[in-house]
Amino acid sequence: MLSNEIITADVINAATPKTKIEVKNLNFYYGESKALKDITLSLPERSVTAFIGPSGCGKSTLLRVFNRIYELYPKQRADGEVRLDGENILDRSQDLNLLRTKIGMVFQKPTPFPMSIYENIAFGIRLYEKLSKAEMDERVEQALKRAALWTEVKDKLDASGTSLSGGQQQRLCIARTVAVKPEVILLDEPCSALDPLSTARIEELIDELQADYTIVIVTHNMQQAARVSAQTAFMYLGELIEFDKTEKIFTSPREKRTQDYITGRFG
Amino acid sequence: MAEHTVTSFDDDLAHISRLVGAMAELAGAMVGDATRALIESDTGLAQRVVSDDALMDARQRELDNRAITVIAKRQPMADDLRAVVGAIRMAGDLERIGDLAKNIAKRVGAVGQSGMPRDLSHSIDAMAQLVLIQIRGVIEEYGAGDTAALARLRDDDERIDVKYTSVFRELLTYMMEDPRNITACTHLLFCAKNLERIGDHVTNIAENAYYVLTGEQLPAARPKTDETAMPAPAA
Repeated sequence: MLSNEIITADVINAATPKTKIEVKNLNFYYGESKALKDITLSLPERSVTAFIGPSGCGKSTLLRVFNRIYELYPKQRADGEVRLDGENILDRSQDLNLLRTKIGMVFQKPTPFPMSIYENIAFGIRLYEKLSKAEMDERVEQALKRAALWTEVKDKLDASGTSLSGGQQQRLCIARTVAVKPEVILLDEPCSALDPLSTARIEELIDELQADYTIVIVTHNMQQAARVSAQTAFMYLGELIEFDKTEKIFTSPREKRTQDYITGRFG
Repeated sequence: MAEHTVTSFDDDLAHISRLVGAMAELAGAMVGDATRALIESDTGLAQRVVSDDALMDARQRELDNRAITVIAKRQPMADDLRAVVGAIRMAGDLERIGDLAKNIAKRVGAVGQSGMPRDLSHSIDAMAQLVLIQIRGVIEEYGAGDTAALARLRDDDERIDVKYTSVFRELLTYMMEDPRNITACTHLLFCAKNLERIGDHVTNIAENAYYVLTGEQLPAARPKTDETAMPAPAA
């Protein structure tokens, strides 16, 4: 395997100049077991990065480190550095609530709150900002428009979020994430429970959102990674095997393990 | 290379690869037969080349269908994707080689009536042999995965171009010597040009094969000068 320095350098040189998230020598442990081994990579700003790899390779774990959501669980810990705009988010002094407004996350299964569509969006905003009714109405509308859901729900904002279809629920979750004005959006298999049409809507949304946000997506669907991302990281058994421009990864990857995985030859 | 988890994917790719091989073999046979028919004024053999072209077209259609089905069904990636796209492109070049060989075969009758000077038949035969070496070579080296040999093979096309230039001059001389040669020599000139074009298609195939094997394009095409486009030396 090539050194991590080389892997990172290639992508930085070729992609957008500014790094949003820089991971350095990151290790992660579930109790005694090491799930991430010395990960080093840089994610460029306002661009989509995909993490691919077989189940258990650590791609979701890596995503979960970025907003320290793992701290909700005992015996999970990380060491190394994850710098967001140069600031190490693994520092004990890091304000987790602030971190999670900057880094939003959308999960595999849509997770709308059991409340109205309007409240699903407003709830998060109220935690951080005091807004008048008119201002809040506008923010909710903006967020729903941003998530391409507005025209479908504008006449039933009082209906329960759970009454929506799966694809709509997922876009509601994206709207909820966007509403608190994050800088980074983490998507953990956002389309795996959706039909192809809803998937296409989410992908279209990802395309639009990358103008304003740094997006990281974990997906088992390689065609999806190839379609939506600018750079792709292939992980295997907790290691970062290859990180390069998406085009390169899917047409002529450098590493044999990457090649075997994406062509369906894995043992 | 390890096998795919879905083994029928391997079968699909192997079938496409066999079709490319079969088309290449047919292309080589057509070029060889067309040249022999030309030199020996064998209209029967020429006729066979013409009918072989239909077989070539049918194989290309089959390959196209299979390749498109594989893309739709399997969404090939990396080396698999390059192999499938490469096969489609190689098949296109091989089909064109078949067309050019057929065109040579169709001229056999017109040339045969007037007879061909022995020296000239020797020159055209020599040119055809160079082309045949290239056609056989490109498929062999692709099969063997020898990328260095493919790069050399591309450059070897230069020898065909040089030979073409000399055949061109020779034909001009015959035409100037005796205007009654003009009809036959003009047909022969087209035949020589066809052989030269076949060489170019083989060059394309070599470049494609190189890309399929390495994922990288060969450096920009070698500088090519068509000396027949320059003013002929004063007679």
